[in-house]
Amino acid sequence: MMKKISKEDMNRFIQSLLSDYTVYAPVNIDGIFSFKPITNFQGIDLNYQNSKKPPKEIFFPQSETMFEYEKGKVTSAEKVSRKRILLGIRPCDAKANLLLDNVFAGEDYQDVYYINKRENTIIIGLGCRRPLSTCFCTSFGGSPFSRDGLDILLIDIGNKYIVDVVTDKGKEILTDKFTEASEEEVKLAEKIKRETEKRIKSEVKIEGVKEKLDTMFESPFWDKLSERCLGCAVCSYLCPTCHCFDIADEAKDSQGRRIRNWDSCMFPLFTLQTSGHNPRPTDKERMRQRVMHKFNYFIENYKRAACIGCGRCILNCPVNIDIRKVLKEILTN
Amino acid sequence: MQEVQRKIREKARNLLLAGSVDFVIGFEEGALLLRASPVFIHKEDDVEKLIWDSFCENNLAAYLTKIGNKRVAVVAKGCDSRSIVALIVEGQIKREQIVVIGIPCQGMIDRRRIEKEVEGEILEVKEKSDEILVKGDSFEKVFKKEDYLHPSCRTCKHHNPVISDILIGKEVKERAQVDEYAEVDEYEKKSVDERWDYFNKEVNKCIRCYACRQACPMCYCEECFVDNSYPRWIGKELNSSDLAVWHIIRAYHQAGRCVDCGNCERACPMEINLRFLTKKINKEVKNYFNFETGLDITVPPPLATFDVKDKQDFIDSGE
Amino acid sequence: MRNPYLPIPVKVKKTFIESEDRMLKTLDLIFLNKENKENFKFMPGQFCEISLWGKGEAPFGIASSPLEKDYLRFTVNRVGIVTTALHYLKEGDELGIRGPLGNYYPIEFFKGKNIVIIGGGFAFTTLRALTKYLLAYREDFKDITIIYGARTPGMLLYKEELKEWERREDLKVCITVDKGDKGWQGLVGFVPTIVERKAPSPEDAYAVICGPPIMIKFTLPKLIALGFPPERIYTSLEMRMKCGIGKCGRCNIGRFYVCKDGPVFNYAQLEKLPKEY
Repeated sequence: MMKKISKEDMNRFIQSLLSDYTVYAPVNIDGIFSFKPITNFQGIDLNYQNSKKPPKEIFFPQSETMFEYEKGKVTSAEKVSRKRILLGIRPCDAKANLLLDNVFAGEDYQDVYYINKRENTIIIGLGCRRPLSTCFCTSFGGSPFSRDGLDILLIDIGNKYIVDVVTDKGKEILTDKFTEASEEEVKLAEKIKRETEKRIKSEVKIEGVKEKLDTMFESPFWDKLSERCLGCAVCSYLCPTCHCFDIADEAKDSQGRRIRNWDSCMFPLFTLQTSGHNPRPTDKERMRQRVMHKFNYFIENYKRAACIGCGRCILNCPVNIDIRKVLKEILTN
Repeated sequence: MQEVQRKIREKARNLLLAGSVDFVIGFEEGALLLRASPVFIHKEDDVEKLIWDSFCENNLAAYLTKIGNKRVAVVAKGCDSRSIVALIVEGQIKREQIVVIGIPCQGMIDRRRIEKEVEGEILEVKEKSDEILVKGDSFEKVFKKEDYLHPSCRTCKHHNPVISDILIGKEVKERAQVDEYAEVDEYEKKSVDERWDYFNKEVNKCIRCYACRQACPMCYCEECFVDNSYPRWIGKELNSSDLAVWHIIRAYHQAGRCVDCGNCERACPMEINLRFLTKKINKEVKNYFNFETGLDITVPPPLATFDVKDKQDFIDSGE
Repeated sequence: MRNPYLPIPVKVKKTFIESEDRMLKTLDLIFLNKENKENFKFMPGQFCEISLWGKGEAPFGIASSPLEKDYLRFTVNRVGIVTTALHYLKEGDELGIRGPLGNYYPIEFFKGKNIVIIGGGFAFTTLRALTKYLLAYREDFKDITIIYGARTPGMLLYKEELKEWERREDLKVCITVDKGDKGWQGLVGFVPTIVERKAPSPEDAYAVICGPPIMIKFTLPKLIALGFPPERIYTSLEMRMKCGIGKCGRCNIGRFYVCKDGPVFNYAQLEKLPKEY
């Protein structure tokens, strides 16, 4: 179903959502965009390429209280107090959420914290008209206007948005300000889609990477690759599909909270055992783990690579390690 | 610059051929524009990868605490060389392990500032003697290098390597007039509340990725205090108090050890002004001990030494 | 939807020090509520995250057998924050457990076979659970051999029970120590040496081996030399764990999570996995 809405009406619509929903949208803080709960539509800045920190944190916050306890009495924080809208997410990041679903909402143990947030969130995506040269979503089956993982997709055609209603969940929140898009407008949206997609020049060959990695665990390739790595967590924390975490207690005596925080396989502590033994003692093993997890183990377990081609790791690596180059080198290794 | 680059390659090749080093750490062309990337050259055939331009921003001394017993040649700007000195003074590396390929540095370009001053993505970059030319789909702009140096380069007083085994390029004139601590002075003029607000605003951007720590040559602790679990000094959450503790201790731990290379700040994905804290500490160290890090291989950092005649008036008696 | 991160409330029924260095302590726990007790179904080899308010969680193999209905047993080596706090617990103290977690020893395969159980140090916990279970269904299995070693006689776990087992006719028990003391009349020697000397037959047999990495490293070739095929040698792996349910990402070996897909693996499986444990 294709609808349209003017930008002014969109602002009013967002404002009206605030009474029933917590709305998370891109906010510009000192030039860095992140998804934050807004109190007014004017706080939103949709003039952005993409957020620095991926919106996975709306479902899987960097720090999250799992439950509180006092003298053994436990109060879980798994329930979501208010329904949510996630507005302005890029299609690549929406796709990442689908990958995370495999882990947190898969067949075995259900991660209630993630699932409750996921189920109580309506996702309104904003098609990407500004792909960068570091973007390669199309290599992983995505596109700047992919509908995967969205309830509604907005396509900016100038003074209005074309509104592609993807799910019933998305349909339910529409108001009468959303009117039928004309054939011409739909055509214009299609044209914008095609042209934007063409602007994604970066292509990564993923076919065969998994099989190649099957044979590369002991390869000297990892020594070379990890030499320049500093061992920070920029790549994992800014990755929309990385999902490792740590569980810790914050407490005084018998009163406190059990919390989880993002963790990274790039940190030595991640696998350090109390005995002092560490199965991944150096940057080499840790770098290998990160690449293997994304492009081998994840494919084995869920049939897809744990990468959506957003390019955040490339843009933000302090020593300019480029995952596209890494994948290419794996294939030619 | 071309000439410097040619000589780096030549020297690297000679060192590798002679077997005097196990590898050379230098820069290669980055995957991104306005960026170079650190590179480890093990074979003489690979020396052609080595480059030298205005984007060689990383402090390569950060790698030296991981080299074990290897003998390593390292391309060093003024700041890198000071870090090398500091690491030698602190006993982390041995002088004879390192062949310093010193390069007088004109300062490196602040890529983020340039990126912010154009509309759209930069798709082409050309470096000229004192200008950077950038092009995008709908723009073309020229930046004067001198005006777009990293903040740390703009206040740098040691562009020339303080030690080097091989010196490549002509010595550059140091800027005598530059007011190194201007930003700190400004900060100090503010009220306590204003300072606290600014500090909090900055540290609350932190995502605890520890890129600042990992990028810093002097952050070589086997176990960082944030990772220490027994006793646990600091929580692991993303809240203001934990973040404040992390950044305060990080800065304090740099007292008399920071060369102000700015590697932490450039590594930070959240673009936190990290240097204002370390710079403040540097200023205090300079005032109290007349000490600047990494200038003299025989002088240990002031806080690592003790003398009965040391000043004690900073001790708050609590009265 | 059940929240897999919420601990089940339990309390300490009994504690006792196992070892002469006082670093190994056994805790017998009971459920605070009947429903939890009834729903807690497990098999030997599985583990729990023991959860201590204000301290955190740590994984421990269940040392009691499912047939010991009165308590859940854990033996705790005092090394870190959680284990130290666990050592301070007294009778009646309340805490939590999450579990049972992970897979278990493939007892179905063991039926009608000879079983060789090899343990070292305090890794004997889930092997105790296994032994108790096998003994409860003794007629389902052929010969059962136990080879168990510790540094000194005082470091052996479950000493009274071991004596009881040694007296049994239907069980072959070889207890060995690295270094004996005055009263010690048993075997002296490292586990790999004793395995070689006792040479259990691989015929129609399964071996289960748990112990410090160094013991496993040297015992494994002995078993292979005796003719045990890798797919009939089982072990239980230890890794740093947090969630225990395959989400937090740290305990994987290749595509498998030790907490969820393990901790029990046979050597044919491990041979196919990266040597990253």
